[in-house]
Amino acid sequence: MSDAQVEQQRAASGASLLVLVGLGVAFALLVALLAVAKTHSGPIYGEANMLYTALVLYAGAATLYMGYGVTGIERYVSAASLLAALGFVANTAAVIHRWSVAGRPPFSNMYEMLLSFVWTLALLTLIAERAYRVKIIGSITMPITVVSVILMQLLPSDVRPLVPALQSTWLQVHVTLAMLSYAACAVSFALAMMFLIQDNMKTESFQALTSAGMIAIYASILLTRFRSGALAVTAYDIDSKAEVMMSRGRPLFIHIPDLGWLYLLVLLSALAPLALYIAGQVKKDASLFDVASKGMFLTLLLQAAGLAIFITRVKQGQYGAPEADGLYSSALPANPFLLAGMVGGIVAGLLYLLLLWRREGLQRMMPSSDDLDRVTYKIICIAFPLLTLMIAAGAYWANQAWGSYWSWDPKETWAAITWLVYAGYLHMRITRGWKGRRAAWFAILGFAVVIFTFFGVTYLLPGLHAYAAG
Amino acid sequence: MGLKSIWTKVHETLASVRTGIILIIVVGVFSAVGTIILQRPTSEPEDIQRAYSPQTLALLDRLGLTDIFHAWWFLLLLCLFCLCLIFVSLDRWPNAWKVYAKPIRFATPAFRVSLPQTVKIAVSDEGGALSVTERVLSRLGLRPERVTESGATGLYAEKQRFSVLAVYLVHLSLLCIFAGYIADGIVGYRGNIQVPEGQALGQITLRDNRGGESKKTLPFLIRCDGAGEETYADGSPKKWWSKLALIEGGKEVATKTIVVNDPFVFQGIRIYQSSMGQSGTPKTLTFTATPTKGGEAAAVEVPLDGKATLADGESLSVLRWVPDYYVQDNEVYKKSDDPENPAIQLGLTNAKGETKKLWILYSEMNSTKGQDAPYEFAIKGATWAKFTGLEVSHQPGQFGVWIGVVLMAIGLVIAFYTQHVRIWATIVEDGKGGKLLWMGGTTNKNRDRFQTKFEQIKTALAKELDGTANTDRKTEEKTLTQA
Repeated sequence: MSDAQVEQQRAASGASLLVLVGLGVAFALLVALLAVAKTHSGPIYGEANMLYTALVLYAGAATLYMGYGVTGIERYVSAASLLAALGFVANTAAVIHRWSVAGRPPFSNMYEMLLSFVWTLALLTLIAERAYRVKIIGSITMPITVVSVILMQLLPSDVRPLVPALQSTWLQVHVTLAMLSYAACAVSFALAMMFLIQDNMKTESFQALTSAGMIAIYASILLTRFRSGALAVTAYDIDSKAEVMMSRGRPLFIHIPDLGWLYLLVLLSALAPLALYIAGQVKKDASLFDVASKGMFLTLLLQAAGLAIFITRVKQGQYGAPEADGLYSSALPANPFLLAGMVGGIVAGLLYLLLLWRREGLQRMMPSSDDLDRVTYKIICIAFPLLTLMIAAGAYWANQAWGSYWSWDPKETWAAITWLVYAGYLHMRITRGWKGRRAAWFAILGFAVVIFTFFGVTYLLPGLHAYAAG
Repeated sequence: MGLKSIWTKVHETLASVRTGIILIIVVGVFSAVGTIILQRPTSEPEDIQRAYSPQTLALLDRLGLTDIFHAWWFLLLLCLFCLCLIFVSLDRWPNAWKVYAKPIRFATPAFRVSLPQTVKIAVSDEGGALSVTERVLSRLGLRPERVTESGATGLYAEKQRFSVLAVYLVHLSLLCIFAGYIADGIVGYRGNIQVPEGQALGQITLRDNRGGESKKTLPFLIRCDGAGEETYADGSPKKWWSKLALIEGGKEVATKTIVVNDPFVFQGIRIYQSSMGQSGTPKTLTFTATPTKGGEAAAVEVPLDGKATLADGESLSVLRWVPDYYVQDNEVYKKSDDPENPAIQLGLTNAKGETKKLWILYSEMNSTKGQDAPYEFAIKGATWAKFTGLEVSHQPGQFGVWIGVVLMAIGLVIAFYTQHVRIWATIVEDGKGGKLLWMGGTTNKNRDRFQTKFEQIKTALAKELDGTANTDRKTEEKTLTQA
């Protein structure tokens, strides 16, 4: 009896903390949205308005899915699913409008690719829910769509004409396949995580995993952008809506003073839970895990603060750069990698908190671990041929455009590495009978490589060398 | 250890999936390293120099880490991977082929025990039970055949037998791709050439992986009959095109207008539009002509290969054009192709047909002043001929690559979306004098779906067989009540 009460009390205090952190994050996101303050002109069915509608609906759906995750009330799901479906309709309208305005499928830049990615992810979520009855999946995929649409609000969205090299059907085939296969990989990742939950992996292990993810994010940020205490951001010219370039392909980085130290602090705070977890494992002292839990709240709050400060400092003020005279301003659109990383870290933390407080309820709602294991494998069986064809279409396009089907550039190489990882997964599964936890970890590794191929190659690798130059 | 046992050891190692996975990991790790360390073929030399200190760079160069993808040891890794693929496939092929070519049609008692899915249903009428099973299987999309072996009759049904060979098709396709890639590495080449409008050239510049250059003569000349670009309203490029003609042995053998993404393919050599620019050769030159005796200066435009008439009937032509000159022993020589510091020899022909030769040596004085002539000429401007920048590649191995890609697509679809389903049925003794219908089945993948299918067949079978029994019992009951 007393045990139950303690249990309930913990749950209650947990919920209130969740609300607090949630409010903090919501505030930060609101600042982000207001800071953008896009003017929504044009017809009501136009792309900007439709996308905004989709954002609101997806955000509602995400909240309800998460609410279902927290409370386990079934009613939430049908409402969430309805909102997601309506959001999908608005999203489709946005895609169609852009397609008709541009006169080509929307795949040519980061903004358009995210538009298509969100559309695919929402579609897959609805299919997974209807056909496979995996209701809880929305609480992972819908926040991803919301983050993506917010990110899109920050990216330059004007319809740019295609430069000659991009005028190719093969490129469109390539990008479509990439979106489809990456979305399938994302779903397999979500399913693998759910498998680990259902397979009774310890909550503190998830905490360590979340902490490791956050460390990866902030270590990449600091590795590429830390400049003796300052944080380097891309200079952006508001009038010409373009990055300021030092020379061709080399953007100018301006330094926001002291922000680098703040991010170092965030990195340390993200390191703490993992260090405590390792200490707890080594010393076999479970009390350290509770301390680590408190560390997670701390780092989440710090991260939310870091995001808010980042947004305000980027929006207000001009900063100098050692390579150039004078002061320059920056803008959020010029720093999608930083933003995506920070928001990603916060979302991962929130999902962990959800698990921390509602584990039993979540496990009741999820399909059985056997089912999850099997569906993960099946989704990868869909992703892998798509991945193969995506690489082939890309090679064919490169051959038409540059005269070489394979030139080992980083994007190509990482696409090949992704392919190798999933090929490894399939071989271990089919010939060695790898199932369950090992297979789930493999699927998670695969998605980590996909994320790196998609974001890391574009933003992290060049940044690494830009730092070497500085 | 004898030669034979070494061979056995090598064979064992290469034929294991574990070796394959280790090779995949090693190749993956080195590929990743190759994207983190700047690679010479894909980076600008200045970027590499900026990124690494000279000592680090020398070390990286020595270790081959600045050009991993063309290093001999990386190619060796890829070849090892191919070997592993071959050995793994050869090792497992006989078994798969046996399943494919000589399927087991009759389930012997020993075989029955090995099957993962089996069911036994008590039956009274042997022949009738098999007919019922035959009907049920046909209805569910499997085509059963009657098999008799050593006096016993059984049923055998299967679906998509080719599915067991799919993995070999995928492995073969990978080998095709690697073979194509390696062939291109040996016999293929890729270079560029800049052809000014109106000229025909046949020598391309090849870049090697160390950043060096060499020349290669093509079996034909490429003539550029025109080139141009179109831009969007905002000034960004929309289209680059070049009208090309290929000349072999003085004869025009093919023509095509190429644009980006639509190359010219001739005898396995592919010509791509890659850039566009102004050449160092002018189309026309404009001079200011000032009469020596005094009077209005006038502009006169002279085509490089033509002449222009001046006001008093004299004509002006360009006899020599040197884009960047130097003088040695009182003779003008070309220093480079960049029109930085031109020397121009002009021919001024009077009405009597007498030609006077005049020099403009740009860096000394932009004028013919002091040379005995009725005019003084100075360079005012020029219109430049366009040149088209072409990428020329010969990669005959790409056909292997594309065949491999198509085979792989087919192979993967078969591997993932078809399954080899096999079902056997026969009549067995139950040991107590009764008869049982035994049915067993197996599949090569997607076991859970097969399980559902098997259950479906089982239920249908039980119902049909039971149904027959029920009807029998009812007749019996009827007979009883009548009696």
